[in-house]
Amino acid sequence: MTRLLLTGNAAAAWGARLAEVDYIPAFPITPQTEIIESLGEWIDHGEMAGRMVTLESEHSMITAAGAAAAAGVRVFSATSSQGLLYGMEMLYTVSGWRAPFVLTNVSRGLASPITLEPDHNDILAARDSGFLQIHCATCQEVLDSILLAYKLAEDPRVRLPVIVNLDGFYLSFTREPVTLPEQDKVREFLPPFDAENMMFRASAPESQAVAVLGGGPYSYFRYETHLAAQNALAVYDEIADEFSQLFGRHHGPLECYCCDEAEYLFVMMGSFATKAKEAVDRLRDAGWKIGLVRPRLLRPLPREALQNVLCGRRGVAVIDQNISMGMGGVLHSEVTSVLYGQPDAPLLASFIGGLGGRDIPAAEFFQIATVLREAAEQGSAPPPRLLYTENELREVRKLQAIASVEREVLGGQGDE
Amino acid sequence: MYRIRFHGRGGQGMKTASRILGSAFFLQGYEVQDAPRYGAERRGAPIFAFVRADKRPINERGIIDKPDLIIVADDTLVPVPAAGVLGGADAHTLLLINSHTDVSEWQQRLNYPGPVVVLPAPEEVVDRAEMPFIGALCAGAAAALTGVIERTSLQQAIAEELGHLGADIVEKNSQRALHAFDLMGRQQPRLMEGATADASAWNAPEWISLPFDEARTAAPVIHAADNTEALKTGSWRTMRPVIDYERCNKCWWVCSTFCPDGAIAVEEGTPVIDYDHCKGCLVCVAQCPPHAIEAIPEHNAGEITP
Amino acid sequence: MSESTIYRNLKNMPSTHLLGTGTPMCAGCGGLEALHEVYDILGEKTVFVNAAGCMTLLSVYPFTPFRGGWLYTAMASAPAGAQGVRDALDILKQKGTISEDEDMQVVVLTGDGSAYGMGLSATSGAMERDLDFIYLCYDNEGYGNTGQQFSGATPHGAKTATSTGSHGYPGYKKPLFDIWAAHRPAYVATVIGAEPLDLARKIEKARSVKGPRMIIALSPCPTGWGYDPKETAHIGQLAVKSGVWPLKEVIDGELVHTKVPRQRVPVEEYLKLQGRYKHLFEPERDEELIAEIQARVDSYWERVES
Repeated sequence: MTRLLLTGNAAAAWGARLAEVDYIPAFPITPQTEIIESLGEWIDHGEMAGRMVTLESEHSMITAAGAAAAAGVRVFSATSSQGLLYGMEMLYTVSGWRAPFVLTNVSRGLASPITLEPDHNDILAARDSGFLQIHCATCQEVLDSILLAYKLAEDPRVRLPVIVNLDGFYLSFTREPVTLPEQDKVREFLPPFDAENMMFRASAPESQAVAVLGGGPYSYFRYETHLAAQNALAVYDEIADEFSQLFGRHHGPLECYCCDEAEYLFVMMGSFATKAKEAVDRLRDAGWKIGLVRPRLLRPLPREALQNVLCGRRGVAVIDQNISMGMGGVLHSEVTSVLYGQPDAPLLASFIGGLGGRDIPAAEFFQIATVLREAAEQGSAPPPRLLYTENELREVRKLQAIASVEREVLGGQGDE
Repeated sequence: MYRIRFHGRGGQGMKTASRILGSAFFLQGYEVQDAPRYGAERRGAPIFAFVRADKRPINERGIIDKPDLIIVADDTLVPVPAAGVLGGADAHTLLLINSHTDVSEWQQRLNYPGPVVVLPAPEEVVDRAEMPFIGALCAGAAAALTGVIERTSLQQAIAEELGHLGADIVEKNSQRALHAFDLMGRQQPRLMEGATADASAWNAPEWISLPFDEARTAAPVIHAADNTEALKTGSWRTMRPVIDYERCNKCWWVCSTFCPDGAIAVEEGTPVIDYDHCKGCLVCVAQCPPHAIEAIPEHNAGEITP
Repeated sequence: MSESTIYRNLKNMPSTHLLGTGTPMCAGCGGLEALHEVYDILGEKTVFVNAAGCMTLLSVYPFTPFRGGWLYTAMASAPAGAQGVRDALDILKQKGTISEDEDMQVVVLTGDGSAYGMGLSATSGAMERDLDFIYLCYDNEGYGNTGQQFSGATPHGAKTATSTGSHGYPGYKKPLFDIWAAHRPAYVATVIGAEPLDLARKIEKARSVKGPRMIIALSPCPTGWGYDPKETAHIGQLAVKSGVWPLKEVIDGELVHTKVPRQRVPVEEYLKLQGRYKHLFEPERDEELIAEIQARVDSYWERVES
């Protein structure tokens, strides 16, 4: 067992290497590219078996990944942001093939306007694709989650592809101490891929991914995929326990930090949740009964576990690093649906922050806690809040002046 | 927790320096987080990198806005607003600067609130920004300033971070870093760990509700033309091309046409370099037919510029 | 023609057919005619990787006409699906998981809608990677599965559901054969189901080499072109005899016409059988357009013969 400093991207590459993947269809995109560069270097220098091929787009990359998995080999791939969206048709398509493989997404905000820095709109656009989703908060978790993801994806009770998500910059380019599991132990945890009856062989006729006519069979195949995704909850629990016994690290479907006796909870996904964790520590120092709930599994959504941990609290603040135009935070909607009709559901407040990598400093977490407590005392939820300061708007107004936006506005008013 | 910020220019090895320091902390038994800040990672452009180190697991992430130590590899970055070198500094923030100018002058010039240390140079050089292995020097000096990193940890960190480049590179960097470590050895003051945020006394963020703007305002559209001139990319330059007009044969087109940035204008048949925007690529120096353009260190430019 | 062909005359053609009957393709489908002829030559150890088009409906759950493999992908990326299957089979052979006997020929099956447009980038990529596969485009000169709108394969003057004006489609059929040939793949050929011997010899040749082997089959389409299904083979023969569809191949950069129509029949003999060209003859003859189409065909063959 080696503990060393690795970036999130390097940890992802190590996850694929330790999983002894056979095949890596690739396409470069910031901030993911280091993952395929690392794998390519290992393969070129004989440190890793496996074959890597660079396709001409993410759409083709995901097609090749699904096709190779459908032919019975273990496949890894990686993308980010616009790339994930460019391949979106194939995400939906290959999950329906029931071809399991692992795709790493390095979260990055979506155009427009185009940016390089992270938020979660890319990965959430894939929410309903049939890929399961594991969201990571640390570099260690990235490596471990890739191993967990293969075990989950390839389980006959599931057999679906899985996306492991990590945030651009905040994990992808950030080094942290990561423990590398030993290869033998990984093999014990993750035996070679058994593709069951899914194959292309001269001796076995097989027509895969065929069309259907009519809603009856269509509904059957689609709902079976849903049931498999739901099965993944119980299977995941088993796998996480087994992982923890072998490697000493437990990664549950939800991370609950300081939740015992907590009156208030933050709910957040991804690496920014460690900032919330730090804020919980500081608030606890100041006498607050507060904790953090971080969903690691978004699909399948651990509904019951969320209900159990959230109900009975005085207030819950969901902090979304994403935005659904015309609705608000996606995680907030999910949590609302989970809590609907529950007898002792907490007061729920919605905050949106960290869009395009915008920082969330400690003071904002403190303020969120304060707003939450006041709302709980008054018994009514506050309006949704974008974490945005007067100064930030002032800076944008300056940029708009340089872009001559004001002149246009004045021109328009002059016409009236 | 130690919160350390490196500032330098693309090409000066700040990412490597931050990784050497991060590894040294790690070898010393610390939890560590280090990260470069990409974006404009172009040769000569300001870049920065972070290191956090603590005995406990680190939950903070991203930009360090209140550093305990600021390391500046190139003092010409100090006045560049985009570099944000002094951002968040207070009375406890140690400033380690690579400069020909001495400590008292820096304190006076910047009205800097905290202690200032000048990076020791192993030998006298014309331009400190062009010193070889500057990243290793910064990492070595910073390691010494922490007071908790041992010489052997620094040495091993360099071997780990640069090993893939070969024994020779490791040896040269190691020599420089250890030299800086030793020269900095008895330096006072020492780096002090910064405080954590306090949830019982803090400034509430000045949140606002974003007003609705019509799309004519709120779409990402620039209605201006050619306003990148406002961006003074001349600050990227470490070497300055200077035209010797005695030798210039007034061909008027070679340097002006080949300059990728269009930063050489021709005024009445004579080329004139726009130093606000010249990035110092030196294509003009390489192409000038009568070799009338010379490259001089930016550091000396003030004295020589005609 | 290759000396070593086993397809010397029609009696050498396979008398039993591999492709299952009972598919939902239109009666008289020229594409299906070509496909079943191709399948007979390739044999059952074939995986078809299909792009969205008419032939997606060959395998509708729970029925399949294939004795080997089939994978439906999407409209744009069938060559990438072929890449995944080819690579996976190679990996499995290399690891010893499967024997050489279990290997299969990987064949992309797409219509012109994909091949000439949305799928062109993936096709170009597969050729650039020297993928060992066969690409079979059944070209019925329009988006047939959605009701024959014009595609990049539609010929000049043809009426389609989206070119209903008095002069039909204003554009010209994209030179896909030349675009492919410019990539220098192992083999490029045009075929047509109405010339089965020529087709068989070409598929035999394609089967015998490695690398990208690119085949376009002109596929007369009773539904989209507007003619009686019984005319499919006749119209196909006329396409060759009139010179509208040159049968040719490129091996090692050398272009060979495999069946040169020495006495070309006038193109109008081909055109007038098809509803999509009815506006050229009724209510009155569009002499100008007929002459233009003829002139383009003549000019092609003049270049071939010169």
